[in-house]
Amino acid sequence: MLENIALIREVHKHLPTKEAQAEARESLRKIDLENISLNRLNQCNSYEIFCVCLIRALMTKEADVIIVTPFHLIDNLREIQTIVSVIEKLEVQKNILILDTISNETHYKDSSCNIVK
Amino acid sequence: MVLRFVEGIGDKTITTISSFYEALKFTFICLIHMHNPASYNPAMRMVLTKQIYFTTVQIIPLFSIMAVLFGSVIIGVVIVLATQYSLQDQIGSIIITFVIDEFSPFFTALLISLRSGTAVNTEIAVMNVNKELNTLREYNIDLIDYLFLPRIISGMISVVSLSILFAFIMLSSGYLFTLFYMNMDFHTYKHLLISAIEINDLVVMLVKSMAFGFVTMLIPIYSGLKATSAYTAIPISVLNGMVKLFIALFFIEVLSLLFQSL
Repeated sequence: MLENIALIREVHKHLPTKEAQAEARESLRKIDLENISLNRLNQCNSYEIFCVCLIRALMTKEADVIIVTPFHLIDNLREIQTIVSVIEKLEVQKNILILDTISNETHYKDSSCNIVK
Repeated sequence: MVLRFVEGIGDKTITTISSFYEALKFTFICLIHMHNPASYNPAMRMVLTKQIYFTTVQIIPLFSIMAVLFGSVIIGVVIVLATQYSLQDQIGSIIITFVIDEFSPFFTALLISLRSGTAVNTEIAVMNVNKELNTLREYNIDLIDYLFLPRIISGMISVVSLSILFAFIMLSSGYLFTLFYMNMDFHTYKHLLISAIEINDLVVMLVKSMAFGFVTMLIPIYSGLKATSAYTAIPISVLNGMVKLFIALFFIEVLSLLFQSL
């Protein structure tokens, strides 16, 4: 997973592998997932895979990150606050949009994010 | 009936020419990337290092054993034949031409094709079917720089270096045969080879090995990219890739023979 995340910085910013991997490890540490650093895809659960994808997306040059139907991406996810707290821990400087269907509206109750219908 | 037959030929010709053109375009793009310093980013260099290890270093023990076995037997056969046809004074140049110009690069390319060519073809086809290549594209990661170029360069490095190693081991083990069969001492054998070897032989070996290494990786990669989005397409892609690769290897071999005969 570490190589997977570091790849973005290595390619787009030409960061040396060690530095890129240190940055990736730091991001994983912030969300208490440092233990999956050396895991392969089949060794991770859906939540861990989602977090890695999110970190990777945050490392790109794009100003906006769009998460589409997170309740389909993560197994047994009950409320959106889990994802919001991950985003907060990562100290994101980008706009994050979550797109979801109206049928999942109940999952967004009591969440701290703006909801636009 | 005749019209359909003619249409069929036309259709086949157009398909063949367009796929040949596509393959040439892909080769050209890869060559451009190969000569662009910006392609060599840290991620690419890391993949390149790993690929060199997988393609070149891992195979050395098996390769050395095969070189010793083939070396002593084949050089033995060449010497026996040369003696039979009273060509003893030409033994040095026969061995050098056979080992350095022909056998080492071709045998190395065959071995790397069977071992790494198939692996690369399968790997790219699986990544293609699993849409992993699309994910990389989405993240603006250049597939040629990150995936293809390290494999192509490692293929070239691998075939060139292993050809040199193969030729060296083969010539060394050939000495064993000359020692027992012709009672030739090491100094005479060494002198025989050194006086027969020319710069031309080394150039032929290097150029041929580089060409072999290039196609050994390029064709499987291209074939893997052509796999459609079904798992059943993977073995078909590997099969097609290997057939095309072997045709390309024989084509290069024939071309080099033609150039040398000029």
